[in-house]
Amino acid sequence: MAPDLPLLELEGIGKSYPGVRALDGVDLRLHAGEVLGLVGENGAGKSTLMKILGGVVPPSEGRVRIGGREYPALTVSEAGAAGIAFVHQELNLFDNLDVASNVLFGREPLRGGPLRLLDRAAARARVAPLLQRLGADFGPDARVAELSIAQRQLVEIAKALAAEARIIILDEPTSSLTLSETARLLSLVHELRAGGTGVIYITHRLGEIIDCADRVVCLRDGRMVGALAREEISHAAMIRLMIGRDLRSLYTPPARAPGEGGLELRGLRTTAFPERAVDLHIRPGEILGLAGLVGSGRTSLARTLFGIDPALGGDIRLHGKALRITEPAQAVAAGIYLVPEDRKAAGLVLDLSIVQNVTLANLPAYARLGLVDRAREEVASEAQRQSLHIKAPSCAVKAGTLSGGNQQKVVLGKWLSMSPRVMLFDEPTRGIDVGARGEIYALMRKLADSGVAILMISSDMEEVIGVSDRIAVMHEGRVSGMLERNAFSEQAVLRLAIGQTEETHAGTEAAHP
Amino acid sequence: MSKKELGLGLLLIVIGGITAALNPLFLSGTNLLNMANLIGLFGVFSIGQGIIIITGGIDLSVGSMFALLGVILVDLLVNFELPWPLAVLVILAAGVALGLLHGLLVTRLRLQPFVVTLCGLLIYRGIARYYTQDGTMGFGYAAGDLDTLTWLASGRSFGVPNPFIILLVVAACMAVLLHRSVFGRYLYAVGRNEEAARHSGIRTNAVIAGAYLIGGGLAGLSTVLLVFYTSSVSPSSFGNFYELYAIAAAVLGGCSLRGGEGSILGIVLGTVLLQILQNLVNILGIPSSLNFAVMGSVILLGVIADQQLSRRKQVGALSRSPAPVASPAE
Amino acid sequence: MKRRSLLAAPAALALAGAPRILHAQEKKTLAFVVNVSADFWTIARRGIEKANREHPEFNMEMIVPGQASAAEQRRIVDELLARKVAGIAISAINPGNSTEMLNRAASQAVLFTTDSDAPASNRVVYIGTDNVAAGREAGAQMKKALPSGGKAMLFVGTMDADNARERVQGIREALQGGNIEIVDIRTDESDMARAKRNVEDVLARYADIDLLVGLWAYNTPQIYQAVKGAGRENRVKIVGFDEDGLTLRGVADGTIYSTVVQQPFEFGYQSMVGMVKYLNNDRSFIPASKQIIIPTRIIDKSNVEEFQKQMRDLLRTR
Repeated sequence: MAPDLPLLELEGIGKSYPGVRALDGVDLRLHAGEVLGLVGENGAGKSTLMKILGGVVPPSEGRVRIGGREYPALTVSEAGAAGIAFVHQELNLFDNLDVASNVLFGREPLRGGPLRLLDRAAARARVAPLLQRLGADFGPDARVAELSIAQRQLVEIAKALAAEARIIILDEPTSSLTLSETARLLSLVHELRAGGTGVIYITHRLGEIIDCADRVVCLRDGRMVGALAREEISHAAMIRLMIGRDLRSLYTPPARAPGEGGLELRGLRTTAFPERAVDLHIRPGEILGLAGLVGSGRTSLARTLFGIDPALGGDIRLHGKALRITEPAQAVAAGIYLVPEDRKAAGLVLDLSIVQNVTLANLPAYARLGLVDRAREEVASEAQRQSLHIKAPSCAVKAGTLSGGNQQKVVLGKWLSMSPRVMLFDEPTRGIDVGARGEIYALMRKLADSGVAILMISSDMEEVIGVSDRIAVMHEGRVSGMLERNAFSEQAVLRLAIGQTEETHAGTEAAHP
Repeated sequence: MSKKELGLGLLLIVIGGITAALNPLFLSGTNLLNMANLIGLFGVFSIGQGIIIITGGIDLSVGSMFALLGVILVDLLVNFELPWPLAVLVILAAGVALGLLHGLLVTRLRLQPFVVTLCGLLIYRGIARYYTQDGTMGFGYAAGDLDTLTWLASGRSFGVPNPFIILLVVAACMAVLLHRSVFGRYLYAVGRNEEAARHSGIRTNAVIAGAYLIGGGLAGLSTVLLVFYTSSVSPSSFGNFYELYAIAAAVLGGCSLRGGEGSILGIVLGTVLLQILQNLVNILGIPSSLNFAVMGSVILLGVIADQQLSRRKQVGALSRSPAPVASPAE
Repeated sequence: MKRRSLLAAPAALALAGAPRILHAQEKKTLAFVVNVSADFWTIARRGIEKANREHPEFNMEMIVPGQASAAEQRRIVDELLARKVAGIAISAINPGNSTEMLNRAASQAVLFTTDSDAPASNRVVYIGTDNVAAGREAGAQMKKALPSGGKAMLFVGTMDADNARERVQGIREALQGGNIEIVDIRTDESDMARAKRNVEDVLARYADIDLLVGLWAYNTPQIYQAVKGAGRENRVKIVGFDEDGLTLRGVADGTIYSTVVQQPFEFGYQSMVGMVKYLNNDRSFIPASKQIIIPTRIIDKSNVEEFQKQMRDLLRTR
């Protein structure tokens, strides 16, 4: 292969789903020994592009060339054979098998001729050096189920190495890694590049891109909106490409000062961190952002407040009155509502109509003698549809047919049709496009102004800084610090998120915009 | 009436029409009334099964429950000479209690419904056989006056078999419960997405246990009807396989074993179809040995047809849908 | 591994509930293995109990399989042999294909067959009904019930059982050359509700059916009920087998013409006494044919009352 011939070449890739243009005219080139940073907001089309590269979905138009050969209809096995390996943000491991079996899955060394028995010794011998190279602290016999998320990520990377991939695509590889693990991963990327592998590095943590990328391309709304050469890469440049506007424009100040009472937590202990206690006060009329790394106990806190997970100890007071919450029904009765992280699994019943989703949590209010009054249901849900601008032909359509943003509005409509006193938002805009985000932020502000206490869990730094009135940061199960608005900065949040114990690392400093 | 039920009704008419064309006696009053009687017998517990299936569960134990509750009923009436209203009440309560037990095991201990009720299938049958020392219990030597109960459970009113009337009443009540009440809505929500229902403040455990409780109660009611249909209970064979008839009726009627789908009308139509299939074997003089094969083939064809039609419908809806479909998740 | 130990707990409980196993080692055990649970065998149990009262030095038990399957029966026999029982009397479910199992049993214990014979095996003797003869008896009753001939329908659980086939054979032999036509045989796989619906369907389909015959114990009462339900008592004759309570009631009220009964009490009693004799080296009771045929009886209006009383006493004394 000529040295300047690209390993991978995409030309004019487009992808349409019914009603949605997910990708439009995307060109992309990756050379051997190059690390290409791919940035873009959620919903910009990165995942669709990667699915096309993996042969999972066919492009609607455009050409894919790998190693100079054109693939008119790339399949999963062709992508693998052509040397493309993925390290996904959602891990694709069999956690009931051991590490060696996962790493060599589909390429197991065999013995016994026609009997096709697994050669476990050979498998171990092949996997052990790979793990060593990655600096893993576990062996090939370890069961994946017993590994941490970071360790599993290493298994995924070992899988790519074992396949001797020429193109490795890392999709949010560090989202759940500790700082030292992140540093090790980045040095590994440098090593891969030196070995002539092409790497596509997708992340929201722009600091990592600055550290390792040779070139950056940016997707927005399915289009390639720009590219940056090595010397042009900077936070500001990347953010400008990604969102194309000022960061702080999101913030609307509250109409008045936060009130007294609200939700007070004292010494609350959750199942995620049984020995750590959380103290937190969410005041009515404010939006309290809750930041922290994945796994720092934020979601567990919200689930405990809502009664999904049991509280192991401590007090919950609402407007001064002690609450005992052991199941969601009690939280709902008290006016504490949760907009969960996983909309489709926990927020909505996708097969029920908008009407039935909106009234689900408060159905007895629409019933007489236990029988549901459908007319009243429709009136109530229609009111929510109009006030929330839910884009649907009618309230009779199933919630599953709506787009992410509209689904989230249905979840909101469910709670707004009742009388919220505390709203817990867990990643409220994940997978939602920019326009709908703005609407949801405006709604949160309106709710707060009407006296609701709002807790917003978010891993999106832009969102946390742009929407919150105060930010509480969690680290390993406890609140490691509270920031007032004038003290907001990515560095401040991040320092608290990592527990203030380690020096900020060059590779992770200001990892978020 | 949904498309599914319409399709099933159509299938009924086609099969009925073919049978009637081959042998007009199919539509004779006697035959129709006989069938109505059997539809009543099998419909009542199929509705219970359907409600459990809608929560995403299953009840494999009903057949064995019939044997156990059946021998107890005969024993209470014949040997203990209990007044019949009391005996019937005991059986209904016992059915409810067993249903509740299943429900609690499924919800509190998080055991799989299949496993819980499979164990029930084995246990109840075993207890029934031990209780009777493997003897058949019947009304052959009954002393007391059972005429009223016999009439209620197997007689006719205005020429219509009482089990069929009982089914109509049960179906009407359950249809209101399932399609109009808060509890019914909860059943569908829990069956479709238990997690989301729980996140909406619904006491999902209570809802699921409630479904098993209803299923148990209806199984108790069916026991009384079935015992008076056969007049005797042989503990080793009474009710054998009946859980499968119920599951088949529910599935034919549009219940998905994944939960959250199905209607009372559908389940009743499913029962009707199953009974027609058994009837036509006799009416057309098909060898009895082919009975199960005929039933299985028609169910399979029905399910395949339904699958194909709903897939076509889905594709059609997608291409016609003007609203943006959820974009692939990032 | 943990799961397995959990499963072992109920098994241990079940074993603890059967202390007589220990007991069995002191006394010799004679087992009576039947094919399916039925009143028929409850009566046989009384015979066994009578034999046991006469021979208390033996431990006599009746074993009923959970399902009427040859596999289940084979498991039971294997377990009995492992327990080293002294004698087994068995109503083999599939005698023709169970020779190997029966011979294994015969080599380790005294083996009698009862109710259904297995002449190809090394069984010591068969004690029971001659089902072909019983079929002939039923055929004769059919002819008596329908002196001017007509159409008959037969009902039975399954036709893969030997006694069903032999009874049908006997009936056909008896009807040979006569003017009674057997329209069909309907089977129900031992599901009583289906047995009844089969009768109902036949009554609905054949307006001109004259005679219904129930070949198995539960068939006759279901015929009786269906005929009553259809109000056809006066136009349809019924001939049955065995002595279900309802059957006898039907005979008493005249709906059922007659029923051919076996004498299961004697099956149980004579099998047990015979095995005791054999173990005491008395073989004089075994005829050259190696078959002790217990004759069947015809119960009709003339003798039903007395027979009903007898049965009630037998079934009541638990």
